[in-house]
Amino acid sequence: MISLEYLTIITNVCFAFVIMATAPLLAGIIKAAKAGMQNRRGPRVLQVYYDLFKLLQKDSVVSPTTSWIFALSPYVYFVGAFAAAALLPSGDLFTLLYLLAAGRFFLVLASLDAGSTFGGMGGSREMYISVLVEPVLLLTMLTVVVRAGSTGLAAMAGAAASTPFSLPYIFAAIAFFIVLITETGRIPVDNPDTHLELTMIHEGMVLEYSGRWLGLIFWASAIKQLVFISLFVVLFLPWQPGGLSPLMMFLWIAGKVVITAVTLAVIETSTNKMRLFKVPGFMGVAAMLALLALIAQ
Amino acid sequence: MIAELLLYFSLFFLITGVLSPFTTSNNKIVNYVAHGVAALGCLATILCAIFIFVNGKVDFITPWIMLGSPVYIRLDYLAAYFLLTIGIVGCTASIYAIGYSREYLGDGRRYQVMVSLYCAFLLSMVLVVSVSHVAAFVVVWELMAVTSFFLVNYEHERDEARRAAFVYIVMTHVGTAFIITAFFLLAYKAGSLDFSSLAQTAGNLDAGIKNVVFLCALIGFGTKAGIIPLHIWLPRAHPAAPSHVSAIMSGVMIKTAIYGLCRFCLDFLGAGPVWWGVVVLVFAIVSSVLGVLYALMESDLKRLLAYSSAENIGIILLGIGAGMVFTAKGLGTLAALAWMAALYHMLNHAIFKSLLFMGAGAVLKSTHTKDIEHLGGLIKKMPYTAVLFLVGTAAISALPPLNGFISEWLTFQSLLYLPQVMHGALGKTFGALLLAMFGLTGGLAAACFVKAFGITFLAKPRSSQAEQAKEVDKPMLISMAVLTGLCVVLGIWPESVIGAIKQVLHGTNGVDALQVFAGTNWYTVGVRLDGNTGLQMPVIIIIMLVGAITAMVLYRMYGKPLLIRGETWTCGIVPTARMEYTATGFSKPIRLAFRSILRPQRETIVDLSPNRYFGRRLSYYVSITDIFGAIYRPVNNTIIKAAQFMKVIQAGSVQLYIGYITAITVLALIISNGW
Repeated sequence: MISLEYLTIITNVCFAFVIMATAPLLAGIIKAAKAGMQNRRGPRVLQVYYDLFKLLQKDSVVSPTTSWIFALSPYVYFVGAFAAAALLPSGDLFTLLYLLAAGRFFLVLASLDAGSTFGGMGGSREMYISVLVEPVLLLTMLTVVVRAGSTGLAAMAGAAASTPFSLPYIFAAIAFFIVLITETGRIPVDNPDTHLELTMIHEGMVLEYSGRWLGLIFWASAIKQLVFISLFVVLFLPWQPGGLSPLMMFLWIAGKVVITAVTLAVIETSTNKMRLFKVPGFMGVAAMLALLALIAQ
Repeated sequence: MIAELLLYFSLFFLITGVLSPFTTSNNKIVNYVAHGVAALGCLATILCAIFIFVNGKVDFITPWIMLGSPVYIRLDYLAAYFLLTIGIVGCTASIYAIGYSREYLGDGRRYQVMVSLYCAFLLSMVLVVSVSHVAAFVVVWELMAVTSFFLVNYEHERDEARRAAFVYIVMTHVGTAFIITAFFLLAYKAGSLDFSSLAQTAGNLDAGIKNVVFLCALIGFGTKAGIIPLHIWLPRAHPAAPSHVSAIMSGVMIKTAIYGLCRFCLDFLGAGPVWWGVVVLVFAIVSSVLGVLYALMESDLKRLLAYSSAENIGIILLGIGAGMVFTAKGLGTLAALAWMAALYHMLNHAIFKSLLFMGAGAVLKSTHTKDIEHLGGLIKKMPYTAVLFLVGTAAISALPPLNGFISEWLTFQSLLYLPQVMHGALGKTFGALLLAMFGLTGGLAAACFVKAFGITFLAKPRSSQAEQAKEVDKPMLISMAVLTGLCVVLGIWPESVIGAIKQVLHGTNGVDALQVFAGTNWYTVGVRLDGNTGLQMPVIIIIMLVGAITAMVLYRMYGKPLLIRGETWTCGIVPTARMEYTATGFSKPIRLAFRSILRPQRETIVDLSPNRYFGRRLSYYVSITDIFGAIYRPVNNTIIKAAQFMKVIQAGSVQLYIGYITAITVLALIISNGW
């Protein structure tokens, strides 16, 4: 793993393409599950793909106030999410997190670029949320990192797989689930379906985007969501029967991913968005759980 | 031999820089010549440091004798590493100064004095890391403090600058007092003023004295480094100085304090008890979290950068503190990793912070304001400065693949092992919380620099000054571009620096540098502990390139799109600069979340006449009080009271003072010689 291997790069890139291809499907599943629970017919599961490809065909409306930052940011955001997905099988945790942070950094800059109040509002809140989530994210990860003795994701997955079912580990899992909800911008922290300017966080930032750039941003968000759910499933829900064939292993993981996604849909249907200034308390709960898990280990 | 010669060259050039301004009254020539030789001097310093890393240490004796013992100059790898840092920042800042100080050319004699002091300031820093003699060190340390005091005070008509300079000179002398105490205790026991004999005696000292020496060194050098709560001079003094001087003060002057700490901890004192490391870690984490919080709340660009320096010093000290804990526990390999993180971040911070100060100086020069609430839209008026500043902000926010990322990665890796190494539940919690706070610092730093770049450079100009801004001169752009290039190179080729740091750490007691990173190649940062954690920048860059190509393919898949001009959506009204988000507004959620620490005080004045639903004017003020400002107040009051008391013997007549001096001299003679 220390030496530069072309094989590693190729595997990583292929993995990123797989994540990229399946991420919109997962977003579609969440939407369909939500619609089902709300007694709506809702869009087809594959609708997200249709939306993305429609957006990728459209022209863009660009504000004359914007600069090249506005044109560059969707690429940086996409590259950050793509590279994070590529690092999932054998990369390094800290790098993965900072690649996503780089995407966020540029997206927030782009939100300020058009000079609208809504963009700035979204960007400001996004940074606020990220400030709160970062320490909790590291704390929760520490539970697994300490066990693995490394921040390599392969080593961490290996260490997680050999973890016996225990209460502290469940605490850590709940803590990471809260982080997951926050990072992917879902209810109760942010509402991905809202179009009311004053309540938006992520959607507020990208309000000025249209056409292909918006398509890239949506796709990247879907990738980021799948990356976080995969991290959750592999590191915090590691339990599955031993001695599985690779295909069965993949199916197990895919099943867990879908169950997590449906859980997200259930939470989204049964709760409402909390006030922005209640989020620190929410993250505090996660921090306490993570700390408990760490000490009880 | 060559390294020796290069050091002499460097000193010669810098001394020429000190003297040359007074040879002509044409300030244009002074500007080119003095800053030119200063740049050459710093270039010689860089070469000298590189030669030392290639050819080995240099050790020579100078003809000067101080307090009865000859002054040694010992350029070991630690000194060379800091020389390299001083050289890089000094060289670029001197080139920058050629363009930047053009606006001071009309100041006549005063300008010449400033240039001379600037060169003396550089000279003193080069000497601080070179001399290996207690008295000489204190002398050049003082020279550094005094020259920088005058530079801070350059615009002395302004109340603010005078007060900043005063606070600075007081604080730095308090620090110097502690440093002298630390040195004195060691030198007294050693019976020698030579650094090498200090290192030999320190091993035989009893624990009590060692503790006192350590604490004095920490407080003394900590004051100079600007750790919180000893930082109060830093956010005042750095913004008051001319920008090229601020770049050097924030980039390297505070690093000389880190040099002092390294000298004491790595060289003189060696392994200490665990609590030394814990004390450093507590100072470090308080500095980094509070430093960046205050930076985030700031709307003065240079003050923002100054507070962020306190934060980065905190990150450097996190590495140092962790290194001391690991050394105390006998874990040499981990200690090497932590020290490596600290030294790498030291160099990185010198590079990107001086870049950012130069960028702030460029903004200040072309808009005449540092208040980011009055800026905006500069990306179109100053396109090159904007790109360079953006890279600086990305590097300081630790975004891959830039240099800040590597050193934060190393710091993260070393902190990771703290919870496991510390004893008991309390120690474990401390370690874990430290890591969480480190994460918090990272998040806050990103928010801070998004704000700094976004409000300053993006959207529409918020004032007429910002609207009339022009791109700055070539020398300024070139020097910023060099630093930007270094941010990128040190990000994708970390092994270059790591090799040097390995040499620095090799042979220091309690630190085992050869085990970490053993057997890696030029492109890999690998931590060879039990987990084999690695960081391969080329792999990440290739993956990022593939991602970028994918994004471009997606963008162009259906042909070239049409970009239609359409105004920003503002609910149907014509957008103006007043609708943009302000810096104060941008940081408001974080201000509210951390209000118990920041204690914001706000005042809103609303003029509701004639219609209460459509107010006419609204003024909003918010101010933050530094929570550590309060601890200085009782001290201040006591000193003022004592001064009132001393007034009795201060009649203001010179004759009386001469009388006092005579009386004291006679008394001293009587005491020293006996009756």
